[in-house]
Amino acid sequence: MIARFRAVLNSQWKWSRLIVVLGTVAAFAIPLVSLQGAARADRGALQAQELLRAVQSWGTLYPLLATALGLLMAIAAWAPDHRGRHIHALTLPLERWRYVLLRFGAGGVLLAAPIAAVLIGSSLAVLTATLPPGLQGYPIALAVRFAFAVFVAYAVFFAVSAGTARTAGIILGVIAAVILVQVVAGMANIDLNLFGAAQTVLLQGPGPLAVFTGRWMLVDV
Amino acid sequence: MSRILGLVLAASLLATPLRGQDSLMARLRRQADSLLSTWREAQLLADVADSLELVRATAGSDTIAVGGLRIIVNPSPLPWREAAERAWSSIDSLYGSAGEDLPRYPYIFRAVDPDSGVRRAVLHVGVELPWDLDVRATTTVLLSTVVAPDFDAALGDWLGAALRPTPRPQEDRTAVFVQLVTVPSEAVRACFLGDISRCKDVLQVGDSTGLLERWYVTPAEREALVTEGFSDYFARGATAPSLQSCRRHRDDACTALLRSLPPRTLPRPLDHAARILLVRTALRAGGRDAYRRLVARPNAAIGERLASAAGMDIDSLVVRWRNDVIASRPRPLTLPWWASFAALGWTAFFGFCALRSSRWRL
Repeated sequence: MIARFRAVLNSQWKWSRLIVVLGTVAAFAIPLVSLQGAARADRGALQAQELLRAVQSWGTLYPLLATALGLLMAIAAWAPDHRGRHIHALTLPLERWRYVLLRFGAGGVLLAAPIAAVLIGSSLAVLTATLPPGLQGYPIALAVRFAFAVFVAYAVFFAVSAGTARTAGIILGVIAAVILVQVVAGMANIDLNLFGAAQTVLLQGPGPLAVFTGRWMLVDV
Repeated sequence: MSRILGLVLAASLLATPLRGQDSLMARLRRQADSLLSTWREAQLLADVADSLELVRATAGSDTIAVGGLRIIVNPSPLPWREAAERAWSSIDSLYGSAGEDLPRYPYIFRAVDPDSGVRRAVLHVGVELPWDLDVRATTTVLLSTVVAPDFDAALGDWLGAALRPTPRPQEDRTAVFVQLVTVPSEAVRACFLGDISRCKDVLQVGDSTGLLERWYVTPAEREALVTEGFSDYFARGATAPSLQSCRRHRDDACTALLRSLPPRTLPRPLDHAARILLVRTALRAGGRDAYRRLVARPNAAIGERLASAAGMDIDSLVVRWRNDVIASRPRPLTLPWWASFAALGWTAFFGFCALRSSRWRL
């Protein structure tokens, strides 16, 4: 089983190495760039607010990067199979679910590189910066949050990508139906807020996308 | 004879404008008296109107008494009694024995239909609020409308806000912590790091001479204050050249501009939340009569009043305030444990969806 996993990992690495390398570089650079100037000797204690504002602005890039990595890795995991109409997968002496699990696991392993890059980049950025008193760095918390966001995004797009065109059509159809109902309800002056409800379900509490929300702060009080 | 006649004529000619002036004064005085009497009549009528409005607003209303709270309300589903009980515990803990004076200020509330399309009688007395509020919201309304007993102008000026009980004391302390860390002021930063004299400066409870240099210690702060906060104000007229000098990092120009500001317009480094927290700390330390002691001497210095209320010297009080603030650091930005499990759960769920995809069901 380990040999099969290694083979799948190897093939997936070949297909997605550009994504992994670029994602890792970006994941390493964002924390360092977000604290640029904080290590300057002339930066006094007065710029705490500016520093937090800069960190918060740059913080929006983490969930975007996590989403992009999840999407691209999921597409890369299935693109060759889709192109070959899954003939190679069907010829393997392996149950389909095992094959999917290997693909899923291989993608997860490859995503460890950008996650580690966020951790290392954040730690380096915090160590080299001169933070005003009262502010603290949270490199581990940020990396953990980034890891969860990457895995959730990867799992969502992996599931969508693994589905057939019919499944994708159903998902798009449901989204279109929700939009249509909301528009019609608005025209008919009916008190119906499907977008609000969807937002609550998806983004709040234990919703699937809740990990993407909130403030992604490398440095905070 | 003709000289005497001439003198009499001249005197009468000279006296004419004086007489005219005298009559003008008398006319103005009469007008002023008339205005005063009209104003008094209007005042009387306004009092009568207020009284009638009060009777109209409170007609058919109930009076709810909880502790020193007197709430006059019209019949509605609002949970007044429960809210009043909750509010009273906060009010009592802030004002202590002075809360007994609150019956002098009864609160008039009128529950109205939350549907803004429903027509209602216009009343000019009391506060209107929708009848669908829950206990928490009703309690918040009560707490935000309570009038501090015997609250004097000097205390109000220093505080910069009304002194009311808070439904969220921890959040208020946390907000002050964030200010101590993020406000662009060396004095505030020194206070955060433990310099109590700086804390007294920024809270304005000690020596208030040279307030500008005490609050804005460095030339960079003064320049930032002028160029970011008052550039429009100083950009016109005689102060425009000084503003240009200040922009060229001339501290004497910046300082002169800030000194020319009208009294009490120099922005405080810390906003009113920090001062309110200091008063609350003093009242908590001073026991049930602390508020009475605080308002007993309106002409005394604020530092003395706070020390008297707290029953300790002002330095100890400020140390206690700072300790309270430092202990209220916001929670770190870590994900809650359940969010981590939720993320793992969703990852597993979508992974399972991929395994069960219709593509593999041959």
